[in-house]
Amino acid sequence: MTRIDEQTPIRERWTAQPPGSGDEEIAGALLRVAAEPRPIGEKKLAEIHARLRSNARARSRAYARPTRPLLRQVLVATGLVLLGGTLSASVLHVLHTASLRAADSAARASLPKGKPNGRSFANAEQAAETAVPAETPDPVPEAQAVVDPPRAPRRDAVRETRGLRATAQDSLTPKRALALAPPSGSSQLAQESRLLASAISKLRRDGEPEQALAVLDRLGAEFGSGALAQEATATRIEALLRLGRNAQALELLDGQTLSGKGVGREMLVARAELRADKGRYSTALRDFDQLLSVRGQTDSVTERARYGRATCRAKIGDWDGARGDFQQYLDDFPQGRFADHARAALAPRSR
Amino acid sequence: MSLPNSKVSLTVVRPTDALDLDVLYRAHAPVVARWASRLAGPSADVEDLVQEIFLVVERRLSEFRGEAKVTTWLYRITERVVLDARRRDRFRRWFSRARSHDIERALSSPQSTPVDALERRESSEQVYRILDRMPDKYRTVMILFELEEMSGEEIAAFTGLNPATVWVHLHRARTRFLHEMKRALGREP
Repeated sequence: MTRIDEQTPIRERWTAQPPGSGDEEIAGALLRVAAEPRPIGEKKLAEIHARLRSNARARSRAYARPTRPLLRQVLVATGLVLLGGTLSASVLHVLHTASLRAADSAARASLPKGKPNGRSFANAEQAAETAVPAETPDPVPEAQAVVDPPRAPRRDAVRETRGLRATAQDSLTPKRALALAPPSGSSQLAQESRLLASAISKLRRDGEPEQALAVLDRLGAEFGSGALAQEATATRIEALLRLGRNAQALELLDGQTLSGKGVGREMLVARAELRADKGRYSTALRDFDQLLSVRGQTDSVTERARYGRATCRAKIGDWDGARGDFQQYLDDFPQGRFADHARAALAPRSR
Repeated sequence: MSLPNSKVSLTVVRPTDALDLDVLYRAHAPVVARWASRLAGPSADVEDLVQEIFLVVERRLSEFRGEAKVTTWLYRITERVVLDARRRDRFRRWFSRARSHDIERALSSPQSTPVDALERRESSEQVYRILDRMPDKYRTVMILFELEEMSGEEIAAFTGLNPATVWVHLHRARTRFLHEMKRALGREP
């Protein structure tokens, strides 16, 4: 190691040293590579700015909307009526409970000891079933991102997926969103599913992912790992992807066990692409392998998976595997959106 | 090495000015993005970081009293957000050692094809792997001095460290960097 008295004076930068074979010159050369700026373009900065502004607007609409005096009076009156109603109901409940207790103790005295009544359990199960929403909302991921080496899924790629978004929105028309709304009731599950339905509605019907996230935060705070925690997570991932917060989406996706079927396929390909983008090629390859293990599919997920796997294989030096995938891609999708990249990758290079 | 726009933005927002997110963003977003990129390294999603940083800025706008320069305040938020993001990533990141041929590749002459750009990005990742083996306090000083080309005094102002401490940290960071680099090159056990 270079001795202290041989070292460059502390105020001189290694990166400013001329090339050489000494340790510090090598370190300087290495640091110069890392020092090359990787700035965000003005367009991207403008996109972030727009998102921040829409976020601020949404909040100001929610919290700073001027309330007209008449409306305020109506709200106050409604609040008083509700408060009065709640108090009356509480009093009645207390009175009713006291009379039930008296009846129950009288009945207990007249019945022999034994197992509880089977019918009451059946009724409870039935009640629980009615509290569960008739249809669990579909978590439709929006990560129609593209592995485009060296950069994979980006916000603009996510936003370009109009087709898939249309499908997602079609799947939750206002009418259907209302149908998804859980039955009114005061059970914990009913409240939880009501909040979740509200988050999904904000996300897909209103196109307000920030607000959807706020509702999901509330859901998490109130119910933690409740009965619908998995659906909530899927919705959160979708919201994050729509906002372009890919790193956070990946963090959540990393914790998921995803199947290669249905909606799981969309999430799986999104996760694979996000992993590839972060340079986690081995884990990305596992996801791509899972997606491509089903033969004979030629949908857009397969297209992305084929191209993504080819790219990852190339990155880890598996050139034969990469060439095979690029070739297969061109066979299956000769007019595909990555066809030009695949052809360029297969073309002989002159260096 | 002289990098374009590598100095801190000179745009000054006076404490008496009403701070506005739009004004701050327009004046400082590029420099904040560069800080985030440098501090987080090539594998980070800088766009996510910038958005997160300015969300924090927006939340804390009312707390800014003008006791520090706006750039200092923004830098500290940036550093905190990046640190949190790195912590989140750390526990699941494969922490593979820099391989010697990767380091040697990084030293090769600059190329201009897209593939070479990709290779250089990967080489940059190797450098950050070495930096990531240091304690955060040394790593930050090294990045600000060598990559961001700040002076010791600027680093002291931004990080809140005593200027003498900055030089001590830089000296220790350099010693560690050389040690890790030689290990990666296979010149040291």
